Amino acid sequence: MNILVLNCGSSSIKYQLINIETHRLFAKGIVEKVGMKGSFLRHEKENGEKVKLEGEVIDHLTGIEYVLGVLISKKHGCLGSLSEINAVGHRMVHGGERFQGSSLITEETIKDFKACIPLAPLHNPANLKGVQAMQYMLPEIPQVAVFDTAFHQTMPAYAYMYALPYSLYKKYGIRRYGFHGTSHYYVARRACEILGVSMESMRIITCHLGNGTSMAAIKNGKSIDTSMGLTPVEGLIMGTRTGDMDLGVLTYVMEKEELNISVTSTLVNKHSGMLGITGISSDMREIEKEAEAGNERAILGLDMFRYRIKKYIGAYTAALGGLDLLIFTGGIGENDPVTRELCCAEMEYMGLEFDPEKNAGVRGKEMLLSKPSSRVKVMTIPTNEELVIAEHTYRIVSGLTVNPA
Amino acid sequence: MAEMIVEPIENYGLSKESRPKILFSKIGIVGCGSVGQDLAITAAKHGIEVVFLERNEELIQRSFKEIKRELDHEINHWGLTPGEKTAILSMIRGTLVYTDFHDCELVIETIKMKHGQSGHEMRREVFLNIEKAVRKECIIATNSSTIAVTELSSELKHKERCVSLHISTTAPGASVVELAKGLHTSDEAYEKVIKFVKLIEKIAIPVTESPGLVSVRLFVVLLNEACATLMEGVSSMENIDLTMRCSFNMPLGPFEFADKVGLDKIVRWMKNLYSEFGTSRYIASPMIKKLVRANRLGRITGIGFYKYDDEGNKILEETL
Repeated sequence: MNILVLNCGSSSIKYQLINIETHRLFAKGIVEKVGMKGSFLRHEKENGEKVKLEGEVIDHLTGIEYVLGVLISKKHGCLGSLSEINAVGHRMVHGGERFQGSSLITEETIKDFKACIPLAPLHNPANLKGVQAMQYMLPEIPQVAVFDTAFHQTMPAYAYMYALPYSLYKKYGIRRYGFHGTSHYYVARRACEILGVSMESMRIITCHLGNGTSMAAIKNGKSIDTSMGLTPVEGLIMGTRTGDMDLGVLTYVMEKEELNISVTSTLVNKHSGMLGITGISSDMREIEKEAEAGNERAILGLDMFRYRIKKYIGAYTAALGGLDLLIFTGGIGENDPVTRELCCAEMEYMGLEFDPEKNAGVRGKEMLLSKPSSRVKVMTIPTNEELVIAEHTYRIVSGLTVNPA
Repeated sequence: MAEMIVEPIENYGLSKESRPKILFSKIGIVGCGSVGQDLAITAAKHGIEVVFLERNEELIQRSFKEIKRELDHEINHWGLTPGEKTAILSMIRGTLVYTDFHDCELVIETIKMKHGQSGHEMRREVFLNIEKAVRKECIIATNSSTIAVTELSSELKHKERCVSLHISTTAPGASVVELAKGLHTSDEAYEKVIKFVKLIEKIAIPVTESPGLVSVRLFVVLLNEACATLMEGVSSMENIDLTMRCSFNMPLGPFEFADKVGLDKIVRWMKNLYSEFGTSRYIASPMIKKLVRANRLGRITGIGFYKYDDEGNKILEETL
């Protein structure tokens, strides 16, 4: 069965065409600057050849039409006709409390998803545009929604509630939801597969360290806590986001700098985090380069970043009642050996013996990073959210498709 | 790494029917003073390309300097990132010739009158020049609130595409735009402009063509009354402003607003309103006229009702 995986942002459309039986990736690409000047489509073929198609892409519908057009084109395509696409899986950001798992897209699903728009006013409408465009282009093909929040819906109430007046939870659904669910789930499952253990019997901490960073505590195969909250600002320090912070700071700064709500949001989302501390960049590689040259703020920023992760590892180990497996993923987690090493330093007391030699130089590979004697296993696993989306889509659609490919 | 193949995307569309163009991918602005700059920044922030026309190279440079200053101000107050500033600036271009408007979908005149100049004549000429340069579907708009678009468009071939689009710049980030149809304005053109206003995330307020529309008409009367209150010695200027700011949750009091707008502009507004309505409430207070005669026009000249430093910040104490 061939599944088209779509991830629609407000001005971008990411896609992958995956065959679910063979895990073959036929093609992938991205349409950028949708509805803006200078829009283009970057397409990558199975053999690694890249094509850039430039021209006006007025909206998501046009963008998706071009994606389909490229996929069936003689010159750059990989399909004979559109009928070779058997299902479409969408990455959807915020499923609120309504979506505990992935869901076949029906009129009712769309109605429920629309009700979640206030929780993610930037992301959800863009996701929806992708769904509607696809329904228009390929009305016969089943579509599935896979939510970034769904995996964390197993959190117990004492972990997801904020100590705010309860009425605000009732009124607006204000609580912790968490994100990157598909990624946390994938790397945990994949690591267990490699280790030959059952995910249901493991106490796992996953660290998704990319431009957005979050951690999850997984027990008996279920997420029991995660570091992001109602929005992605909570938790770890990120490229440009604060992560956890005393709320009093916010009201204090708002008063001192006379900030309104939208500016305050920009402050904590775009001016803070590693960029705000170091004044250099939100890019970890640039910060590390500066740190090596002795830049004190770069060093401070990296120390803060790693310390916060370490603190969460401690907290989640306590929450899980012990730890069996620690996993690093995301751009930084997959490619930054130093961060992995420092986050795992001096943890022998809890049975975690990190192997710096194995770790050194490991980038973008699946690898066990702990010593053989270590009771707690440490791994790095490149994430693959698209594969999970394709699998979920397959599972949900299988019951419906009369003749699966 | 192998070189990437680059091709036009149009060959890969599935349906052969002609594709709609992106609406308002480029707009033109005639006269890039504070209103024009504000509009240029707002449009560029929303991914719209902007070309603005000024009388000479020096004025173009000045506009850019002021736009950059405004963006830096936003960065310093956490409202914008340096990356976003670069992106915004890359969308804005200055020009000396009308022909650069040829591919715009909307051209707005936001010209600033010098003291004593007649707005009607100059704006009418601007409208004629715009029409010569643009396609016939291009919307032509005026930012003037006291001069009727019907009058400005009267000599054009395609009068139906002209509207009055008044952006209030007295409050930073003001979210409303007053939209008035002229006598000839077509529904199609009007609908299109409403789309533009939505695109830049502002609220369109439909108004009937009437001098002063809503905002200007109400403001000038408030200012006149504030002057009378001051002249009668009811309260001090600072306290009148403070009372209005706090009582009505205004970001600036009437005197502060007036200084920001420019007192010469206010006198012109009131003249236009008076010539239309003929009621004395639109006759500018002697206090405003006195200041204008002394070239105390507000922030622009560093002194109006209040005194200002080079950055445009109010200097306390030394006032009228």
